[in-house]
Amino acid sequence: MNIDKFMTRRESIKTLLKISGCLSLASSTAWSSKFTATAGATSPKSGFIVEGIGETPDYDVKELVRKTFEAAGGMTKFVSKGDVVVIKPNVSWARRPELAASTNPQVMEAVVELCQDAGAKKVRIADNTIHDARRCFALTGAGSVSKNTGADLIYPRSSLMREMNLNGNRLGAWQVYVPLVEADKVINLPVAKHHSLSVLTLGMKNWIGAVGGSRWLLHQDIHQTIVDLAQFFNPTITMIDAIRIMTRNGPSGGSTGDVAQKNMLILSDDPVAADARAALLFDRQPNSIGHIRLGQKWGLGTFDFQKLEQNTVSL
Amino acid sequence: MKVRHLVWLRRITQAISLCFFLYLLIVSRLPQDIYQDYSVAFSTDQDLRLNQPVTFFFQLDPLVSISSLLSGNTFVRGFLWAAGVVVLTLVLGRVFCGFLCPLGTIHHAISWFRPTLKGNRLVQANRKTPAQRIKYFLLIFLLVGALLGLNMTGLLDPIALLFRSVALAVVPGLGAGLLSLFKALADSDIHILRLLTYGGELVAAPIFGYTYHVFQSAWFIGLLFLVILFLNRVRPRFWCRTLCPLGALLGIFSRISVLKLEKYPQKCTECNLCIKHCQGAASPKPGQDWETSECHICLNCFNVCPEDAVAFKFTWAFKPNRQPDIGKRALLGGFLAGVSIPFLGRLDGRVDKFSDPRLIRPPGSLPEENFLELCQRCGLCMKACPTNVINPTVGEAGMAGFWTPRLIMTLGYCEFTCTLCGSVCPTGAIQEITAKEKIEKPLKIGSAYVDRGRCLPWSGNAPCIVCQEHCPTSPKAIYLRNDVVTAPDGKELKVQLPFVDLKRCIGCGICENKCPVRGLPAIRTIAAGETRSLKNQIILF
Repeated sequence: MNIDKFMTRRESIKTLLKISGCLSLASSTAWSSKFTATAGATSPKSGFIVEGIGETPDYDVKELVRKTFEAAGGMTKFVSKGDVVVIKPNVSWARRPELAASTNPQVMEAVVELCQDAGAKKVRIADNTIHDARRCFALTGAGSVSKNTGADLIYPRSSLMREMNLNGNRLGAWQVYVPLVEADKVINLPVAKHHSLSVLTLGMKNWIGAVGGSRWLLHQDIHQTIVDLAQFFNPTITMIDAIRIMTRNGPSGGSTGDVAQKNMLILSDDPVAADARAALLFDRQPNSIGHIRLGQKWGLGTFDFQKLEQNTVSL
Repeated sequence: MKVRHLVWLRRITQAISLCFFLYLLIVSRLPQDIYQDYSVAFSTDQDLRLNQPVTFFFQLDPLVSISSLLSGNTFVRGFLWAAGVVVLTLVLGRVFCGFLCPLGTIHHAISWFRPTLKGNRLVQANRKTPAQRIKYFLLIFLLVGALLGLNMTGLLDPIALLFRSVALAVVPGLGAGLLSLFKALADSDIHILRLLTYGGELVAAPIFGYTYHVFQSAWFIGLLFLVILFLNRVRPRFWCRTLCPLGALLGIFSRISVLKLEKYPQKCTECNLCIKHCQGAASPKPGQDWETSECHICLNCFNVCPEDAVAFKFTWAFKPNRQPDIGKRALLGGFLAGVSIPFLGRLDGRVDKFSDPRLIRPPGSLPEENFLELCQRCGLCMKACPTNVINPTVGEAGMAGFWTPRLIMTLGYCEFTCTLCGSVCPTGAIQEITAKEKIEKPLKIGSAYVDRGRCLPWSGNAPCIVCQEHCPTSPKAIYLRNDVVTAPDGKELKVQLPFVDLKRCIGCGICENKCPVRGLPAIRTIAAGETRSLKNQIILF
């Protein structure tokens, strides 16, 4: 699945055995527990939030990612040796990175490397894209990241969609993108951008890219469905890429005129707090945004991110 | 070198040529290992392109070059290859048919492997018949038609026909079967079966892709292909002998070939082995006149003759071969049909009066008249399109445009920064453009309009912004206005109503493709407003 080079037959069989072994193992545990693990998300926790800010004109984005994680206690705090880690970037649109429609590839690359350094057995990048996946992966730089780091880039396909019960307030059975549930650790790595219906596309909204099926139906009660998905997928950690943000014409953008340079990364184990902090970058009050407000109401976290353990690093 | 070796050389060349054709066909798609280095400063000038020479066989095909030259006054890219084939034919006869043509190889293999006819019946079937004049009729018909502006050669050109049949019917058909199998296996809870699925997908995906590929009228393309293959049971290489216009063209060029079949009637024992093995029904037997224009130079007669009564020899003294048996009827009939068809093709008014609203051509397409002069209907753009939006027309372009490409937005959409179709078009009917040109001009292929009766917010049924969300232009061509509508239960519903800004809309159709109202979406795309047509403009810019 590493897209940069052709595998030998032996390699592919080995990989296959590993993947299918993990998948079947994970799925059997997942099925048996009926995903009751997600219930853990509903109890409010005293989390942390770290802001990484690039202040110098030519700072190194990857270094900023590393520093941000260090301030949160290092990647080893979240990823254990031998874990299968899945990173969920937002690479839905076949757009070049500077248009801020997708997660910054440098951030993605740094996070993959940190996971690998922390001893992850396998790092996968998975997103159920809107545009053709090949073009999305090529243009957003996700393909390049996979090539440089050796992380698996998973191509969305129907055999990787499985109907599962989301146990949501609004959503029941839905097609779920399997790699995102069959993992030891999930890192949510969205880009911060404008959206015409949900106001902003941040961390929790990113989970729409983790399901299949009739996704267009989700727009008819967008805020509640976002919260339902966020409680289902419940990532280990969320890092919002706000190096460049798209301030209008979201979610697809298409012009550098829609992009603002914010040079910021937001890392938190509280998905609502991370979204709330990112909302301020767009001059929006967190509680004015439906899904952030609902996220707190349903116990996913708090939009009063000042209450969390705050930390700021700059470069 | 013995003759036997030459025959094996032919078989190996045929196999390599067919495999190369199929390889190029399979790689006529975006590969999964394609990526761009993001550390290099990105610019819209960087377009995704295929690395392999996917149009090679079309460049090799003299019929593509000649018909494009006659109708569109254009030298197609790589036409020198075709010129090379013509020169080769002038020297060696129809070696293209015997050694290189992938469709000929398929017919040859089918006729050779477990032939239906045996013994004397095979000898009878391999005798030359007047029906072999049909191919000259078709050639003259197609070339005269092309000269008068309607290029339909692609419908019968062997390379275009084979590409279309395999790419639009055979490969998607097999792919659909495999995908259904994988899906059934993946849905089962048996681990070993799932394991098989993931393994199978890794192998199958580079060839068949990860999704279903469907094409309008593909069943008919496939059926026609099966019929053409089945005809080999009537007579070996029926297509090559009787119907192939390229074979006819090369047959005419072979008139002065210096590789000639020498016959020694005194040695002949009337065993008829040469006729039995003849691929082209070219009268190889001593005592009959060798039909140069029918001969595929397969060397079978030379190889099988136990008495060495026939032999291929180079004869450099200038002596034209037997002239092709075209026949006056084929000549006159072909000419008349060729003269009438371009005008008959215009009688439905699609070119001169109005164009069908559903006829949305791929981005970069020439104006309709020029498009019909060059399009080979080969299906390469349809195979290469990453979203499966490009489909063969049935009636949308009229009779003249049968099986030319059009975009069906319910099957796919034209991706904003993708310009792959133009880069693979063998004749330039779809011009190669860059994403930068496509965006900045902007290049419109049509326009979208909202069907308010179906639209969820307009009809008061639900809030929805899916079309606006997906609109790729900046600023968006679909914009929203806040409003309050009456829901079916009589309550007020706050919604955002979608409107289309025709100045910005490029007709890409992603709104139609993603609209929650399936089948006949609430926002649809029509060809009106397309850049390529002056007649089809809606508003004054």
